[in-house]
Amino acid sequence: MTRPMRFLVRVGAMASKEVMHIRRDPRTLYMALAMPVVMLLIFGFGVSFDMDRIPLVVLDGDRSVASRALVRAVSAGHEFVIAADSDEATALRMIRRGQALAALAIPADYQRDLAAGRDGEVQLIVDGADGVVANQILAKIDGLVRAESLRRIDLAAEPPLQVKVFTLFNPEARSALFMVPGLAVYLLAIAAVLLTALTVSGEWERGSMEQLFASPVGRLEIVLGKLLPYLGLGMLQLLLVVAVGAVIFDVPIRGSVALLFFVGFLFLAGMLGQGLFISVVARSQLVATQAGALSSLLPSLLLSGMLVPIENMPRILQALSSVIPARYFVHAMRGIMLKGSGLSILWTDLVALTIFALAILALATTRFRRKLA
Amino acid sequence: MSTAPAATPGGTTMGIEAGAALEAQALVRCFGATRALDGLSFTVGRGQLFGLVGADGAGKTTAIRALAGLITLDAGRALVLGRDPAKGGVAVRESLGLMPQQASLYPDLSVAENLRFFARLYCLPRALFRERSARLLDITRLGPFLDRRADALSGGMYKKLALACALLHRPEVLLLDEPTNGVDPVSRRELWALLHELVHDGMTVLLSTPYMDEAERCHCVGLIHHGRLLLAGEPRALLATFEDETYEVEGGEREQVDQGLASLAEVHAASPAGATLRIAVARGSAGTVAGALAPLAASLRPVAPNFEDLFLARVRQEAA
Repeated sequence: MTRPMRFLVRVGAMASKEVMHIRRDPRTLYMALAMPVVMLLIFGFGVSFDMDRIPLVVLDGDRSVASRALVRAVSAGHEFVIAADSDEATALRMIRRGQALAALAIPADYQRDLAAGRDGEVQLIVDGADGVVANQILAKIDGLVRAESLRRIDLAAEPPLQVKVFTLFNPEARSALFMVPGLAVYLLAIAAVLLTALTVSGEWERGSMEQLFASPVGRLEIVLGKLLPYLGLGMLQLLLVVAVGAVIFDVPIRGSVALLFFVGFLFLAGMLGQGLFISVVARSQLVATQAGALSSLLPSLLLSGMLVPIENMPRILQALSSVIPARYFVHAMRGIMLKGSGLSILWTDLVALTIFALAILALATTRFRRKLA
Repeated sequence: MSTAPAATPGGTTMGIEAGAALEAQALVRCFGATRALDGLSFTVGRGQLFGLVGADGAGKTTAIRALAGLITLDAGRALVLGRDPAKGGVAVRESLGLMPQQASLYPDLSVAENLRFFARLYCLPRALFRERSARLLDITRLGPFLDRRADALSGGMYKKLALACALLHRPEVLLLDEPTNGVDPVSRRELWALLHELVHDGMTVLLSTPYMDEAERCHCVGLIHHGRLLLAGEPRALLATFEDETYEVEGGEREQVDQGLASLAEVHAASPAGATLRIAVARGSAGTVAGALAPLAASLRPVAPNFEDLFLARVRQEAA
């Protein structure tokens, strides 16, 4: 038998053994296939940045035709609902209790001021405990009040300047469109790192590493044999997550599906390499699990741009995020799924992912010493 | 057995014969403050059955792992068929079979699957695998348990499977770390019969054991203590060099007898053997010992010396 033949036979032996382990341990399959889907459903339905039906307290001190017109303008859409029409003390109490998120106060001389050609001033009290929520309320109220003032100036005349906003790629600003590609990255990262982190440390814990090291099987053969089945499982997982995103959350894939899976393949190789590296160093499944979860979960959640835009991060975190493969995959996934971007735009992501995968696999193989002690 | 090549007699460092199967040359390995191997040297000739005998913690496992190239050495050199097992690559590992002491198979794989996996690691052609595994399953009588998971096997069956896995590729040199530990007497006898058969066919076998009585079944034994070799040689030749006389102490109160013997410099070793006490005393000093035991209503009965006596006396001498 030739050397390359032997290499393939040994890699095949390791890989098919790994498949047997996977098939016999339903937890692995659950972790790889069921967990991402369950999490995608929870996050997809549960995490929404779209706000509507915001409870608003109205403090109408004027009770005039003009003030009622303003209240109607604000509550006409689906953004706000009037939780109460009351006084200031009640409004503050309701905000404190979370029954309302904002209060709109209209002063007693609102209509008179407007009629006299002076500025009509209204006051908005916002619950600022959640900055994201407060910002959305401010923006929404601002828009509604602006529209109302325009209407008041002259119903017939065209406003001198008009901004028409077209939001590309996600015109309805649906969270799902923004979240699903990011989530897919996050879930793949965790599952891939955890799966491989467990498999090599398992050999140490079972004592089978001694027998492997005494046999002619090489380190690269062990690494590849461990990697291939999980790469297959990871690709299946990617397919599942993208399919659930498309069917349940109506997330489009505007770009090339082949490119999507190719980028996914590169990302998975890097994440599996990271898990391998951890388990080569850790040697115990417990340590490997913890290190694997931490090293995949936190960076891909916080530094990948999945939740927090990278442009908003402090410089040092921006620099740190540039070595996180999830960052490039999130960018590529959003590009392919939402914008229909192709290779000419995403090639930098592909290069970054390839470099990471090769570097971490090389590191794992060299750190993987053929010694028990 | 009688056709066995003569072992190099006595001494902790034996001459390096040309073409020795295994050589340990002044191996040193420390784990923290413990010197697990402390200048261990021995040679195993081709086709020999070598027994490395020693108590738990004497350094047997570390020595075997060093010979298999599985640990880094602080000093010294291990050679398998003249090559460094740690650097020799695939060629050395293909000539080596190892059966580790602890569980080393895949518990969730069946007997057949474990065998097939190891056969593939050694790139055994399918026909050869079928032929050899059939023969090994026959010898080990694991045939009826092909589909049983390894973690459902009894201790003895598990060891036999591990041995079968280590034998599939017909290694020239077989390393066995305490193969009979935790194995019932019947399986133990079968295992020994198998080992003798393998050696008869030309295989070199090195095994470690904490059981002194197993030493007599080897061509050559080495007594390892605190990471060093205290004795090595052909069992019968070693016993012939034993100068002490051995006795069984009869009668008397055990505690009083123990105390009485502890104070005597002439007593080189004492070990309880069932209800009786076995002692090794310096040649010609039986009278003194008997005199000391007489007030305790105990007497001496001469018995033939065995390995345990020899080894215990030697270990005690080392400690003194």
